[in-house]
Amino acid sequence: MQQWWQQLSSAQQGQIDAMLQAELRDHNYSSVTDANRQLDALPWCVSEQDWQQLELAVSQRQKLWQMVLADLYGPQQLLQTGLIPPLLVLQNPEFLPPLMTLNPPHWLPLLTLDVGFDAEGRWVSVREHASQVQGLGYLLQHRLAFNQVTAGHPDLPNKAHLAGFFRALLQQLQQPQAGQTAGIAGILVPPGRTAAYFEQSFLASYLDIPLMQGADLLMRDNTLWLKTLTGLQRVSAILRQLPDAQCDALELDSLGSGCAGFLQVLRQANHCQCLNPPGAGLISSAMLKPFLAALCQHLLGESLLLPPLPSYWLGDSGSLAMVLAQPDNFVFHELQSAQARVFASLSAAEQGLLFEQISANPYYFVAEQRAQLQTQPQALIPNKELPAVMRVFALATGNKSRLLPGGLGMLQINAEDFLVTTLAPLFKDVWVLADRGKARSLLQSSDNPLLLSRHSGLVPSRVADHLFWMGRYNERLNLMARSLRALLPLLTNNEWVATDDAQALLQFCLKANGNMLSPADQSAIGLLTQIFATDHANGIVAVLEQLLFNAQSVREYFAEDTWFVLDKLQDTIHSWPTHLSSQQPAQLLRQLDEVVLLQSAIYGLNNETMSRTQTLRLLDLGQHLERALQTCALLELVFVRRRPGAGVLEALLKMADTVMTYRRRYRSELHPLAVIDLLLLDTTTPRSVGYQCARISRQCNALPSLNPSTGLTAEQRIALEITSLLQLAEPQSLLTDDGAGGEIGSEALAELLQALQKQLRRLSDSITLSYFNHATDRRLWQSF
Amino acid sequence: MGSPMKYQLRHLTRYRYQHPVANSYNLACLEPRALAHQQVQNAWIEVQPLAQQVSRYVDGFGNIRHLLHVQAPHAELAVLSCAEVEVLPRNYPASFVDATPITELARYLQTPKDQQELFALWCTQPSKMIPILPEAKHFIAEMQSSEQSALALALRLNQFIFENFQYDPQFSSVVTQVDEVLKHRRGVCQDFAQLAISCLRSIGVPARYVSGYLQTLPPEGQARLMGADASHAWFSVYDPIYGWVDFDPTNNLIVDTAHITLAYGRDYSDVVPLKGVLQGGGEHELSVAVDVIPQ
Repeated sequence: MQQWWQQLSSAQQGQIDAMLQAELRDHNYSSVTDANRQLDALPWCVSEQDWQQLELAVSQRQKLWQMVLADLYGPQQLLQTGLIPPLLVLQNPEFLPPLMTLNPPHWLPLLTLDVGFDAEGRWVSVREHASQVQGLGYLLQHRLAFNQVTAGHPDLPNKAHLAGFFRALLQQLQQPQAGQTAGIAGILVPPGRTAAYFEQSFLASYLDIPLMQGADLLMRDNTLWLKTLTGLQRVSAILRQLPDAQCDALELDSLGSGCAGFLQVLRQANHCQCLNPPGAGLISSAMLKPFLAALCQHLLGESLLLPPLPSYWLGDSGSLAMVLAQPDNFVFHELQSAQARVFASLSAAEQGLLFEQISANPYYFVAEQRAQLQTQPQALIPNKELPAVMRVFALATGNKSRLLPGGLGMLQINAEDFLVTTLAPLFKDVWVLADRGKARSLLQSSDNPLLLSRHSGLVPSRVADHLFWMGRYNERLNLMARSLRALLPLLTNNEWVATDDAQALLQFCLKANGNMLSPADQSAIGLLTQIFATDHANGIVAVLEQLLFNAQSVREYFAEDTWFVLDKLQDTIHSWPTHLSSQQPAQLLRQLDEVVLLQSAIYGLNNETMSRTQTLRLLDLGQHLERALQTCALLELVFVRRRPGAGVLEALLKMADTVMTYRRRYRSELHPLAVIDLLLLDTTTPRSVGYQCARISRQCNALPSLNPSTGLTAEQRIALEITSLLQLAEPQSLLTDDGAGGEIGSEALAELLQALQKQLRRLSDSITLSYFNHATDRRLWQSF
Repeated sequence: MGSPMKYQLRHLTRYRYQHPVANSYNLACLEPRALAHQQVQNAWIEVQPLAQQVSRYVDGFGNIRHLLHVQAPHAELAVLSCAEVEVLPRNYPASFVDATPITELARYLQTPKDQQELFALWCTQPSKMIPILPEAKHFIAEMQSSEQSALALALRLNQFIFENFQYDPQFSSVVTQVDEVLKHRRGVCQDFAQLAISCLRSIGVPARYVSGYLQTLPPEGQARLMGADASHAWFSVYDPIYGWVDFDPTNNLIVDTAHITLAYGRDYSDVVPLKGVLQGGGEHELSVAVDVIPQ
């Protein structure tokens, strides 16, 4: 490996490195944690021989943990025979008594371990993880990035492929439990955007299984259900990415974001398999390290193949004396706090405090020898090797463990840092040098029987909710931008005084996102300043933020290009001038043009890349419902009780991209009635209310019917009412003489526009009630 | 020596919600557990409106739990627990002269040999609602004399709390901090029990929290009123010879046949009679009616 790297010119090296980092960034638009992530260009290679040793050792460890956890959450013989000092378990923050009711077939089907080589070149374990399986998504991304960047390099060593492991993982998740048909498998994640969200969604889309939040789930009749657009779907397997105590608000932490009744489901044999059941988090406690070897001897009759770094329980007076004689060599762990203290890096005062705490209660302390881990070179910084560990993953299938042939390599400046931080920012891809397995991707052919993806088209209600509102906010932003673009030229030059016509459009912008309080400064520039203010709850920036919030909440449903465009959109709006002045209309117009263009790209991309399923339908419904609603509001402002000038009529046509159509039909004469007909009643103009209503009707007909026996759904009924309102309208009655030789909107027009807006809002509420209501994540579980 | 007592127990809890709720989940700890001195017959739980699911299981402390899932929208939830319980006299000696001295107790528990001793060791430690406070240690130090047994000390503490603390239902919510109780010298049964436990644990004596009921007698010549009784709580101290011995500081009693034991744990949070989660609902209002009727 080193050879391959050395043969490259430094320019080639730099290019490979730059491409790798770019690959990481490309997938990663909005995570702060991820922004610092670096993938070293030089993989960490492990010989097949070393790897076989590790495989045996990890397999033993997985067996050992299964027995230890089954005992500690069960009969607790290990505490009564004194193999583990009882309070190190009972008072351990990771030990959760409600889980003593669980008895899963396996306590740890998926084991995550940080391992390294000690100074003598033997494998040692550094940390163990169970409550969240972090790193699997990163590892996958790193390997894909490497394959991408080094494709065609001839001299690369042969390495074991990863796809077989992921296929086994998927099989395990989708395998039916005894006596049950297989339900859905999913990854249980916390709500909101956490640092780990990117990696979780990456893993989910690779495995093609959904991410689920607690709010998506429902416990009923001892079974876990996913709430979806098409009703409840049974969940039969979970990969948990939620801390143990957060899994069940009923039996564990009442503020937890998991699902009430989750433990009740897990208590039933074969109802739902959790690859890392809550409770397993106990294995991450450093308190158990000193006893692993004895436990292994006692439970398996074998010596421990993968020892942790030498660790001592200070409740033992011999160990206490030995450790206190040379404290500089140790890292101290205290039972209650998860914090690890490196003695040598403490201040004198902190050292004194630590001594005090130890002598007050040595029982609660474990001292771990400072790690002497082997180092790994860095690709671009010669002669600067850093301590390294790799995170490895093992899946228990039947009696065997299957170790993923690779790992997430991590480098730290100080070896002790591995005890403190879960993920280091500097990564290495781990290659097992062997010719194991042939498959390269889950998408390629395999010897195994075909696994049909069952849930494509399955949309959690929460996701549907976000998509619907993403559609609505995207359109709202679009109409505000179009309206601003149309009104700027209507302002009188230099002074920015609003004509009557411009005033109507300004009012529209002020009202589009909920009423903005009338600002003290009613001049055009005062109103515009309000609309553009970044801190205004109803301004254009707020609309963009809502759009991004909804999009980010369902990130895994969009293609990468869509993310790229969303990012651009954010940049554009955030680079708006904070102080408007009449000197900048050209610049503002350019930026508005860009917004409209980028939004067209979003529409186009979603149409091109999203599967033709209910996901796209919800987005589309939101978009067209919003467009119909806002267009009605706009027409009301322009025509009702006021006489529209030629300027605003032309602006309306421009906003709706219908200037050409209008000219073809009516030449260049601007007739108010013709404009109303084109924008309201016509069903062929893509921006007319009539067109929106036809589309809404079609989409409502295609929504899943949750209650098939009752004929039309509530949504279909409302859509029908809206369509009828439009079809029954008499065009000639919509305008009336204003008594001064001009025409203004009639009462009939006012009523029609009001009625349409009312019904459109009803439709939105009805969709919410029927399809999302049970999954509003803003209303958290309330406990009492 | 007392004689066995039989009771008909009825415990009704009602929640009224400001807005209707759907899909509420509750976890009940309302069925009395069977003990050497307590037999339970015919225990059942009723839920209004009709529950989608009522599941009974035994938790890690051996207490009986019911998980209740009410799916239909409801503005009011009622949970009724009924049982017939026979309580046998425990026949304690007049004084605990041969009980284990505190100094030996700690050594004894260092190597627990069975689940009971393991739990006793656990009960020497602070828990979620019962921290070990210097004030509590100071408080009990004044009562403690050398060579004293844990049971003798508990008896003294029991009496001291009864005599010097004001029973005041207005003062306390369910979760009053131990230091507040100590500072104001007032509280209700839960507070007195948790205070005693905190004191005892601070000097290494295993003490656990017990939830249950106390039979109350109507004033002379008056009929028993329905719903007049209440949930009760007290504490229990472990001695290798006598096992767990229960003390009621609210009434200055050693617990015997007038008390029905529901459940025990490290503190109140292990044995909350009824707790739940729901979506929406706004404010809620709680009312409880308990009847302990001697047969």
